[in-house]
Amino acid sequence: MKTFAELGFPGRLVAVEGLDGSGKSTQIYLLKRWLEIQRLKVYFSEWNSSELVKSATSKGKKRELLTPTTFSLIHATDFADRYERHLVPLLRAGYIVLCDRYIFTAFARDVVRGCPPEWVRGLYSFAALPDLTFFFKADLEVSLQRILDGRPQLKYFEAGMDLRLSSDPYESFRIFQGRMLEQYLAMSTEFNFLVVDANQLVEKQQELVRELVAHRLNLDDFRRAERPSSPPTPAAPRKNRAKPNEVPE
Amino acid sequence: MKRVTPNHIVVPRRTPRRFYGHGIPGVDLDKLAGRLIVVEGADGSGRSTQIAMLVEWLEGSGHATVQVGLKRSTLVSEELEKAQEGNILSRTTLSLFYATDFADQLENIILPALKAGFIVLADRYIYTLMARDMVRGMDEAWLRNLYGIALEPDAVFYLNVPPEELVQRGFAKNAALDYWESGMDLGLSRDMFDSFMKYQDAMQQTFRKLQATYGFTIVDGMRSIEAINADLRKKISAVLAGH
Repeated sequence: MKTFAELGFPGRLVAVEGLDGSGKSTQIYLLKRWLEIQRLKVYFSEWNSSELVKSATSKGKKRELLTPTTFSLIHATDFADRYERHLVPLLRAGYIVLCDRYIFTAFARDVVRGCPPEWVRGLYSFAALPDLTFFFKADLEVSLQRILDGRPQLKYFEAGMDLRLSSDPYESFRIFQGRMLEQYLAMSTEFNFLVVDANQLVEKQQELVRELVAHRLNLDDFRRAERPSSPPTPAAPRKNRAKPNEVPE
Repeated sequence: MKRVTPNHIVVPRRTPRRFYGHGIPGVDLDKLAGRLIVVEGADGSGRSTQIAMLVEWLEGSGHATVQVGLKRSTLVSEELEKAQEGNILSRTTLSLFYATDFADQLENIILPALKAGFIVLADRYIYTLMARDMVRGMDEAWLRNLYGIALEPDAVFYLNVPPEELVQRGFAKNAALDYWESGMDLGLSRDMFDSFMKYQDAMQQTFRKLQATYGFTIVDGMRSIEAINADLRKKISAVLAGH
């Protein structure tokens, strides 16, 4: 597997991974703001899947129709849809694409559900590797607290209830997240995760993230080309008309 | 004392089973007492006619049957239908969507039916899905891994009918050629007839390639319906006897 840079794409893909509640979404949002303010071509992939795939996925989840295999396949379908329709064209157009979760989420989640690791990796082998992958490593208790403090309604699959780990959704979620963390840690070296200590303050983490991005990417390559300002002539007929914010003489 | 009564019903002999690859987690292959029979072939090759006749015969012989086919899952069949109408999904996405449909039926229909001792008749299986994708340039190794979830059938029959005949049968049934069966998404030709011929030809070549790997039985689909069915019944009888 190769990164987008190794495949000769002009764009770069930056992914964040980590458990629910690790703060990765906050960090990628702040990274996006920083890049945008510098007027760079940046796109945050919000994982908008097409209506069709979304409809099948939500039906499967709502009606609890999914087995580990179909759960894995339907998410791979969803990922392929976003990959082919959004990510690849943007990366071809030279964007810095930021992804909140990438294939590693599937690697961890599907394997925890009992799918063979080689099979899952094979499914996703059409996807190139990110150019940078940040892994936000928080203590399990810290991330669990962040999620569970609000006593949210945990969804069936989100809590890993299909694994029959516990009949209590909160207990099931704890065990599930613990196993996810083990999987992430096991992948860390293999996929060159840039590990960020997510127990630190938001600002400290962001400082490190920005530093690494600036160091690893040549940000000047992603500057938006300035369009030439419109020529002064020929004068458009409208020019004589008063603009709304101008006081007519 | 062994006495065969006129209504003696053959109990299918057990033979070892395997998945093509990693399979489905947690399935005990030894518990799958039924038989899985696959009929493959292009649209117009006579698959559904043959399957209907086989069901008659098998049920008449005292076997319980279940039928499966492509795009029939509870999970994604509706969405797949729409995806085809609109032609809006990219190659890998559509491929994985079909695999999801297959996996859903495998786990929810095929495997439980086999466990219950049914004879499962599949109107196409992974081979059509693989051939379609291979013709569209997808990586064979990737497809083999994807469909490593599939159970190896007890018999696979490929009804072989040349494109010239398929097109005639198609027109005898419908006034127009089907967009997908003509491979129009491939841009082989803007002429639909040309495209159909080229596409079906490519599909047959791919099937022959797959036959080398998966070893299915090629059945001459140019004979009479009855002759083909008699041939299939003979071969299936041998499968049930454990040969």
